[in-house]
Amino acid sequence: MRDVRGDSVKRQLTADHGIEIDKVRSIVGFLISSEISAAEVASRADDVFADPIIEESATDSLHLSDKELFPQEPDMVVTIGFKPGVTDNPGKAALDGFRTIFPNAGDDARVSTYLTYAFEGVPDGVEVEWLAKQLHNGLIERALYSLKGEEYPVIEYAPITPSDYAPPAVVDLEVTDEELMKLSVEGLLALNLEEMQTIQAHYMNPEVRSARAALGLPENAPTDVELECLAQTWSEHCKHKIFAAHIHHIDTETGEDTEIDSLFKTHIMKPTLEMKDEVDWLLSVFHDNSGVIAWDDEWSMCMKAETHNSPSALDPYGGAMTGIVGVNRDILGTGLGARPIANTDVFCFGPPDWKGDLPENLFHPSRVLRGVHAGVRVGGNESGIPTVNGAIVFDDRYIGKPLVYCGTIGIMPRKLPDGRESHVKNPDAGDRVYMVGGRVGYDGIHGATFSSLELTEESPSSAVQIGDPITQKKMLDMILEARDAGLITCITDNGAGGLSSSIGEMAEYTNGCRIDLGKVPLKQEGLSSWEILVSESQERMTVAVRESDVPAFEALADLHEVEATWVADFTDTGQFHVVHGEDTVASLPIEFLHDGVPQLRLESEWAPPNNPEFNPPSKANHSSLLMRMLTRPNIASKETWVRQYDHEVIAQTAVKPFVGVERDGPGDAGLLAPIHGSTHGLVVSNGISPRYSDIDAGAMAAAAVDEAVRNAVCTGVDLSKIAGLDNFCWPDPIESKKTPDGKFKLAQLVRANRELERICRAYFVPCISGKDSMKNDYGTGENKISIPPTLLFSLFGNHHDVRYTTTSDLKPGESLYLVGESKQELGASEISYMLSESGESNGIGGEVPRLPNPEKNLESYKALTKAIQSGIVRTAHDCSEGGIAVAIAEMCIGGRCGAAIDVDGPGEADLWGRLWGESLGRILVGVKQEHRAEFLATMKGQPLTYMGEVTEGNTLSVWDGDDLIIESNVDEMVSAWKGSLDMTGGVQ
Amino acid sequence: MGDVPKVAILFGFGINCDRETAAVFELAGAESERVHVNHFVNGERDLSEFHILAVPGGFSFGDHLGSGRLLGNRMRFAMREQLSSFVAAGKPIIGICNGFQVLVKTGLLPGREVPDFEQRASLTLNNSGRYEDRWVTLEFDPDSPCIWTKGITRIECPVRHGEGRFVMPSTTDLDELNENNQIVTRYVDPTSEPGKGITDETLPFPICPNGSIRNIAGICDPTGLVFGLMPHPEAAYATFLHPHHTRGEVSEEILAEGMQIFRNAVEYAQANL
Repeated sequence: MRDVRGDSVKRQLTADHGIEIDKVRSIVGFLISSEISAAEVASRADDVFADPIIEESATDSLHLSDKELFPQEPDMVVTIGFKPGVTDNPGKAALDGFRTIFPNAGDDARVSTYLTYAFEGVPDGVEVEWLAKQLHNGLIERALYSLKGEEYPVIEYAPITPSDYAPPAVVDLEVTDEELMKLSVEGLLALNLEEMQTIQAHYMNPEVRSARAALGLPENAPTDVELECLAQTWSEHCKHKIFAAHIHHIDTETGEDTEIDSLFKTHIMKPTLEMKDEVDWLLSVFHDNSGVIAWDDEWSMCMKAETHNSPSALDPYGGAMTGIVGVNRDILGTGLGARPIANTDVFCFGPPDWKGDLPENLFHPSRVLRGVHAGVRVGGNESGIPTVNGAIVFDDRYIGKPLVYCGTIGIMPRKLPDGRESHVKNPDAGDRVYMVGGRVGYDGIHGATFSSLELTEESPSSAVQIGDPITQKKMLDMILEARDAGLITCITDNGAGGLSSSIGEMAEYTNGCRIDLGKVPLKQEGLSSWEILVSESQERMTVAVRESDVPAFEALADLHEVEATWVADFTDTGQFHVVHGEDTVASLPIEFLHDGVPQLRLESEWAPPNNPEFNPPSKANHSSLLMRMLTRPNIASKETWVRQYDHEVIAQTAVKPFVGVERDGPGDAGLLAPIHGSTHGLVVSNGISPRYSDIDAGAMAAAAVDEAVRNAVCTGVDLSKIAGLDNFCWPDPIESKKTPDGKFKLAQLVRANRELERICRAYFVPCISGKDSMKNDYGTGENKISIPPTLLFSLFGNHHDVRYTTTSDLKPGESLYLVGESKQELGASEISYMLSESGESNGIGGEVPRLPNPEKNLESYKALTKAIQSGIVRTAHDCSEGGIAVAIAEMCIGGRCGAAIDVDGPGEADLWGRLWGESLGRILVGVKQEHRAEFLATMKGQPLTYMGEVTEGNTLSVWDGDDLIIESNVDEMVSAWKGSLDMTGGVQ
Repeated sequence: MGDVPKVAILFGFGINCDRETAAVFELAGAESERVHVNHFVNGERDLSEFHILAVPGGFSFGDHLGSGRLLGNRMRFAMREQLSSFVAAGKPIIGICNGFQVLVKTGLLPGREVPDFEQRASLTLNNSGRYEDRWVTLEFDPDSPCIWTKGITRIECPVRHGEGRFVMPSTTDLDELNENNQIVTRYVDPTSEPGKGITDETLPFPICPNGSIRNIAGICDPTGLVFGLMPHPEAAYATFLHPHHTRGEVSEEILAEGMQIFRNAVEYAQANL
């Protein structure tokens, strides 16, 4: 039998490091602690642990010592297992299977898994320690290894150290400002001085003091439970303090000097609420876990996108997996519970072929890519949610902090069987609050603040979590049944801040709650009160149930084998009241908890950055430039990676990530038909263009919105019902010693928000949900790496009939048209980066693509979608990185056919601008002969240029008037485009 | 029975194609009900209430310890009698993807005339070492007793798996399957002439997406009532789900070739049960 697991390791070592090892063999190990004897386990090993057709099992002995299986001793052996406390999903499943066979295994039975690799024929110079390092992440796993002649490594259980419950500590806040800040920094509270002083003042209030005395709490000082709870609730993560800040903004170009009271309220919330007044389909915006729109009379749709950047930097696999399953829970926690039906994943990484230095403690970008991809793959696939759209963007600066954006779309019946509207939560005082799903453990304590820690091999496993998609899937099945049975009055997920946030936020509905931490089921004994309250352990929902529905709710939990524990009650006392068994450990006024945080005051100052002008060489071979551009990671095919996502589970994906003759051309947007048997559709798309921030973050934001809309237009979206999500990832924009250029970075944020508002209003795209991650920097001083300010704009919208759509692959007999205009906009373009990196040009400066008249763009988008919806256009592709040259090349690749186009046309752009420029608002369209007249009539009055024809044969020819500029063979383009990010080391 | 056969669609524990599988049976004229595995295990429901059983795709128990093994064990140990009676009553069973893996690990496939719940084959890691979602071309053995595939020559539909390589301990085992026409469907080269694509020689990646011996994509039991396959015909139920649907004019017809497998079973139940 072939050892595929071992072969994969062997191929990966070749692909990433150029190391050829003769043979890698793998052994799967299970460490069992139970009341069943080894002999009994051995007699049933082939029923649970090994597949008798393809595997050999051994109990209490090592395969490696079996001369029949290993006639020759391997050169090196590496065994990898999880560190104690880290989620071991296979171990959990194995224990479940073990109990099926041995129901009498005992309450304390445990199963852990490990993997052993045996290496034969290891080349000289490869150290076993290095090898082990490539195969595990020291933060969550431990590795043991041996060389030939040494004893084989054997993994054993670490002894459990018992620890007892201790009452909460009291924190004296009547101290100097200096000591207040020391408390904040050392306690990882991430609160600034003004916030600490606000808390200090709260405990000096005589009314507060007398109320506390009555409850038996320390009168004039917070318990550690209260302080941690406030720190979580008031964190940047939960309160978006930068977006809520008062900003003094100066523009040195225009002389503007203004005050802005909250970027969020001014540029996101206000426009959306104004649009909400104009339409009837915006059901719920901003206040829930995701925004909800009415899709038709029967169904509503919701969408949310999240980032999981810091966790993914530390443990790419676990960080990304918790990212995806976490955003799935945002959907499940929307209204009274929505069902996730599609994921989108957008990643920003350092270049996978990075050869330069790597700062301390950072993984190589290729390893980050592999890990993040694997985490999202497992999280999405195992949950049965298709990944329908996404992108991978590369830039050197993402080495410091990768960006991992995970988005999910959900569907809900607008009315539940009992007549309630599904998007409205309606708990009452007296409802019971259940914690459903996973248990609470040390994993995920201080998740929101750990990124400021220096991480080492010895860092606690609490910093990182690994998702458990199967526990979550069981919970999801159960909750949707409970919803339809009318058993849920309120639901939210447990993410950042754990129970303190989830119950604390829901308690606003009834104005109070009482939580008993003593009831919360734990993974390990010994967690203190505050740890239980704020732990971000995964796979948990908080659900409110009327008392009369309790038996039915608990019966459903039993059926699905989901743990559901009554941990709290809603009250109307105005207090967030926490007890631990008999003792009151916290009591905070709901109002102070949610609205007590003082507003930040920040300074912003804009001065345009100086970039050396992009001066293209006077002579160039554009055919060879095209081949080079097709291999650029930002342009190259991501097929190897994306194909490993299930993109069509649920049987609804009508435009998939892969289109065309050989099903490998790029899909512009995802198109779904979520109701089986119906053609009513939903479009999902994304826009992201971080490098434009090098010239102007405002242009970057405009480009992101336009790209998302453009991609959706390519599917024939219904432009009268589209909604957007703004997802900002920024470097720290608060001026300080660490961040001397904070004013500039904040000015970039101001400009991005202004453009976001302008374009969203023009296109009528309300932003219905959003997210920001504002500390994406690595290191300090001269070595500091800050990410380019990045806005991901995600869009979902209605589609009348999924049969009437387009894909990017050219079809035989089509004529080609360009919708939109090419301008001289080469600043921060992909070609400018390529040629300045290679030294063929000076820099990337110049005019960045902008949208001066978005209303005009919308007119042409409307005309084009009308043509698509009438079935006369079956081919469309948006022009983005690499401009028209790359767009037409991709269309030839999808169609496996040639094309002849002429880029000479109206406008002032020169050849470089028309060929490689990335002007916004442009879409290449293919139209069959018989539909030409109707198409031209539909597009009348819009900027439209005839470009050329699809040709028989296998050559892409691009002309500039009479000059043949590009002549490229399609097969060669396919190899160039598909080769550079393959990274598999060969398939067979 | 009446005109509308009742189909039990198993769900729970990480099965995740239950909704679309239920939908395609409904579109084929049956009445589907998604039933949690534990309803059968704890005796609240009984398989005898149904005419057809479907074990959908997914990641039951995360596929840890091998795909389909843990759900297979639950069924093998806790639903043994119900399953035996269901098969003895001549009622059709289908397992798709993870459901196929489950049926193989319970021993219902390739199986015996009378189920003995002995595992005889396995589905293991793809030769590529990767989970992949890609469309494949399938051809069917016209002489197979399989009631699910009557009249089908060739269809296209997606595979979405990491463990789809069909293996048996010896060549003799495979020969025996072949002689009984239990090798119902295989991956074929899409450029071959329809009806002539089937070959024993393993085709190259990605035509045979997983390195399966003799390009096996699906098998049935000796009665032809129990059928399992790795590819997802339910994901090809509609014309607009085919990756090439924009390459032609807009199709008025919505239902596509993937439906025939489900229609066959519904018609079989209507005629025989």
